[in-house]
Amino acid sequence: MLAMRPRWRKVLADLWENKARSLLVIVSIAVGVFSVGMIAGAYVIISHDMGASYASANPANIEMRTAPFSDELLAALEQVEGVEAAEGRCFTSVRVRTGPDSWTSLNLVSVADYRESQINLLVPLEGAAEPGRREVLLERNGLEKIGAAVGDVLEFELPDGTVRSMPVTGIVLDQSSNAGDFLASPLAYVSFDTLVWLHQPETYNRLYVTVSSDSNDEAYIRQVADAVNDRLERSRCQVYRTHVNKTNEHPLQSTVQAILGVLGALGVLIVLLSSSLIANTLSALLSQHQRHIGVMKLVGGRTFQIFGMYIVLILVYGMIALLIAIPLGGQAAYALAQLIADQMNFNLLGYRIVPLAFLIQTVIALGVPLASGFVPVNNGSRATVLQAVSGYNPGAVQSGWIDRLTSQAAERLTWISRPLLIALRNTFRRKGRLALTLFTLTMGGAIFVAVFNVRSALNNYLDSIGHYFLADVALNFDRPYRRNEIEDVALRIPGVEAIEGWTYASAEVLRPDDTVEVNLQILAPPAGSTLVSPNLLSGRWIEPGDEKVITVSEGMLEHYPDLQPGDTLRLKIAGQEDEWTVVGLFKFVGVQGLVGYASYETISDLLTQPNQAFTYRIVTDQHNYAYQDQMAATIDRHFRDLGYHVSLAEAGSDSLDTAAESLDILITFLLIMALLTATVGSMGLAGTMSMNVLDRTREIGVMRSIGAVDWVVMRTVIIEGLIIGLLSWFMGCIVAVPITSLLSAIIGQTVFATPLDFTYTVTGVAIWLGLVLVLSALASVLPARNAARLTIREVLAYE
Amino acid sequence: MPASDIPAPAIELSQVVKTFKSAAGEFTVLKGVNLVLLEHEFVSIVGKSGSGKSTLLNMITGIDHPTSGEVCVGGTEIYRLNESQRALWRGRTVGIVFQFFQLLPMLTLLENTMLPMDYCQVYAPGERPKRAQDLLALVGLQDQAHKLPAAVSTGQQQSAAIARALATDPPIIVADEPTGNLDSRSADVIIQLFDQLAGQGKTIAMVTHDASLTERTRRNIIIVDGELVDETVGRALPLLNDRQMLQVTRLIQRQTFQPGAAILSEGQAVDTFYMIDSGQVEIVLKARRGGELVVARLGPGEFFGEVELVYGGDSVASARAGANGPAILATLSHRAFLQLLSDSPLTGDAIGKIVQARLAENRAADRRRR
Repeated sequence: MLAMRPRWRKVLADLWENKARSLLVIVSIAVGVFSVGMIAGAYVIISHDMGASYASANPANIEMRTAPFSDELLAALEQVEGVEAAEGRCFTSVRVRTGPDSWTSLNLVSVADYRESQINLLVPLEGAAEPGRREVLLERNGLEKIGAAVGDVLEFELPDGTVRSMPVTGIVLDQSSNAGDFLASPLAYVSFDTLVWLHQPETYNRLYVTVSSDSNDEAYIRQVADAVNDRLERSRCQVYRTHVNKTNEHPLQSTVQAILGVLGALGVLIVLLSSSLIANTLSALLSQHQRHIGVMKLVGGRTFQIFGMYIVLILVYGMIALLIAIPLGGQAAYALAQLIADQMNFNLLGYRIVPLAFLIQTVIALGVPLASGFVPVNNGSRATVLQAVSGYNPGAVQSGWIDRLTSQAAERLTWISRPLLIALRNTFRRKGRLALTLFTLTMGGAIFVAVFNVRSALNNYLDSIGHYFLADVALNFDRPYRRNEIEDVALRIPGVEAIEGWTYASAEVLRPDDTVEVNLQILAPPAGSTLVSPNLLSGRWIEPGDEKVITVSEGMLEHYPDLQPGDTLRLKIAGQEDEWTVVGLFKFVGVQGLVGYASYETISDLLTQPNQAFTYRIVTDQHNYAYQDQMAATIDRHFRDLGYHVSLAEAGSDSLDTAAESLDILITFLLIMALLTATVGSMGLAGTMSMNVLDRTREIGVMRSIGAVDWVVMRTVIIEGLIIGLLSWFMGCIVAVPITSLLSAIIGQTVFATPLDFTYTVTGVAIWLGLVLVLSALASVLPARNAARLTIREVLAYE
Repeated sequence: MPASDIPAPAIELSQVVKTFKSAAGEFTVLKGVNLVLLEHEFVSIVGKSGSGKSTLLNMITGIDHPTSGEVCVGGTEIYRLNESQRALWRGRTVGIVFQFFQLLPMLTLLENTMLPMDYCQVYAPGERPKRAQDLLALVGLQDQAHKLPAAVSTGQQQSAAIARALATDPPIIVADEPTGNLDSRSADVIIQLFDQLAGQGKTIAMVTHDASLTERTRRNIIIVDGELVDETVGRALPLLNDRQMLQVTRLIQRQTFQPGAAILSEGQAVDTFYMIDSGQVEIVLKARRGGELVVARLGPGEFFGEVELVYGGDSVASARAGANGPAILATLSHRAFLQLLSDSPLTGDAIGKIVQARLAENRAADRRRR
């Protein structure tokens, strides 16, 4: 024990003997370090592994949905300049049974030769690496939805209604095929020679191409895509849709990184908040240690020696916090990265400590407490012996405007009790400490409220997107049927009130040199449809009688920033090029690609399918989800029984639910961060209340000596905590406005490629009010109990 | 006494003024204090609450700054040092003992004692525990060394504080009400310790308002309203209250008489009250047969001239400075003396008794000189 010099023994004793205070400081540092470590670690892991994992599958740089094509054309495409490799696959949309009466849609993918496959590689996870004849491999992402395992036999319903059974012989990971598409159906893999048994032609309808030169240069990839497109068209193979991807960048990488960036910003904010808590606690510690400092100076301690002792104390706090936060942060970083990887369907390269996160955590754990503790420690260690020993502090109690205000109020409002007045005045006595506490708690509250606002804005946004999907049931066929025929059948089903036949087409927006600027998915409801309620940004909607007229989603502005209603775009639809007039721009989910609306009449004529439609929107007599789901099943069975080739019948809100599910993860993380800030805030309040009680030990003794019972002492402290809580709530509600605005803009832009409309909801405000009152009361109870426990003798002898 | 044996000043305060400023205005706590404490002296400083005694100690220890004046301790003008230099100087030069001990509660008595050595870098780190243990043994705490302050009695805490004050072997010990918080038995132990330390050559300045302790110190400095009472007045007229002492201090004048020089002649009219500051005064009667008879030798703190001032008449004896050295006297006018007696009946009674005794001695001497 004696090996340690007395001054360092004192540092150790300061650390150990006031465990509650040490714990408060350590936890407040650790929370910030943990959150930044978690986010930074996840960011680094995701940044690296997402791209690396994606690239390891050798993803197609160009993906085209086409009319059926053969091996001969594929061989010709490999000769196109810039093409490194080209592969064809066949996608067949089927349904798989998930229960006695439930089915879900699924894409059966057939690959000509799994062993020779070079693009969009599959990673075998369990069982067979390739399917045998009449066997199926399931892609990992669909497992939960289908509820199958290796060895199970699944029933598939083919487009023509035939049901085939195939055993699941393996689970694979396909990181590339559905990358970035939350709404895509699950995938399953069969061999090419199974296709005939599945009543499908042995041709391809999906083309995957890798480029020979820089596979991360989007301009180059587009150039090759144009050349491939030309070659396909020359062979009269129609291209419905083209996607280009960089090899080393997952399509959602920037989105995920942006969201991690938002979480990271919140982490930095937590650090900032915890630093104000540290400053507060150290300031109180130094103030409580004034006498110790005086004694140390009296026996020869110099300012730098005392400064050094407290700096070492802070560093020890930081080191302990670091020891806690590094492993926790590392684990949480990997868990967060794993969660994102599972959602985005890629593999992580294994658990590891991220050196950058470690470095950031170390810098924060040691630097932030040092920075925030510097001023209080510097001031404290500079205190003169006289101040320190006599406790001479003329500024400790001041008579400010609050006192005058409360005095005036007390004169008029006689019902305000003296203890309440004491609590009210006490609140404003240590203004610096109050300001730091309020700052912490206000920011915690503001973020909490803002997260609820953003959640509401996201829901509002989804609702507004739902206005494009107003039907209760969407019914798709795998071939066009006459509209009046389908309408007749549907309207005979009890519960069906209305039905509209829609059609759709893929369009290419052409540049002046005939190359493709961008693909556009055109939906074509009948003019005057009541099942679309668009959110128009400018111009008007499609009206009856419109010809070669289109409305486009706002994402088109990225390609044509000056696009205005009245301008024209040159579109190529079903092989026909024409000038189309844009009459309106509407708000839509940007990341789902560009969408346009045109009239059914125009598009069906172009497709030479007049009065026919693939897809129908049905309105039922009730609109809740359960009924919609039930009606979807009824309608599906009804049409199948009549021999129609139904490919899908689903509740209208199904797609939105999938989108909402993926947003829930984001909201959960935002809420976790909000709760962390609230935790730091309430820890700050608890610390402040403890310090206030310690500062006022003597006053409490005096209160006791003139008759204050336990409850009165406790009430004074608790009311003070509640006043601070309420003040922070009020300020938090105001500060939430800019934070909501900022978060809405960032999250909207990254998730939907469009800013969210500002929304302010009372839900968050009300929950935070309840929470802050509970937290304030809890934060004050322990200090209040300590205050009430002090005996007069202890208090008045308190030195 | 040879010049080399005269102790050097350990602490010198010259015209020290300390004024505090507050919202209520300025308040001068020390009003031009001059004070010299010599090496090896054990001095008590007494005064009522608010008299300025703690401020005076703060000036000596360098805890506070004088508004004006000079403070020189151990040959160092301490207010020319900066705060940090002064902390080191203080740690090495002055050991401080407080009424409330001011031990660090989280350190054991041994660690508290080692702390100044640690800060001031005196003694090799390996030697420090042993020295601290020795010092604790000196104050009788060898068995309590590893206990925390809270685990020992208040008297033991104060003893530990003294051990800590001695840690760097400082030449000066300053104690502020060291026994104020102790029972009489513990207080006695502490004072014995101080006595012992003074005997070992330490200069000790102790603030107290316990009159019983002042008797055990070799010098007693009284401070009243920020001014020091003349020590001769304090010793000669101890029954005056503080304000009266201060009043007398302001009225006295000092006179120095070389060895053998006449101060008063027998039969001479007396209009001054004499108090002896230093040296010796011989009271002499003329013998009938010629020659002289030394009836009394008065030393510091004693006085003469009071008989004539009380009863009137001429001097009944001669007074002269002793042969061993010059006599320094503090003198008070006849009028001021009579006013003093009327203001302080206790002093009047005491002097009345002394007068009676001296008259009786004179009568006896008269018989002898016949």
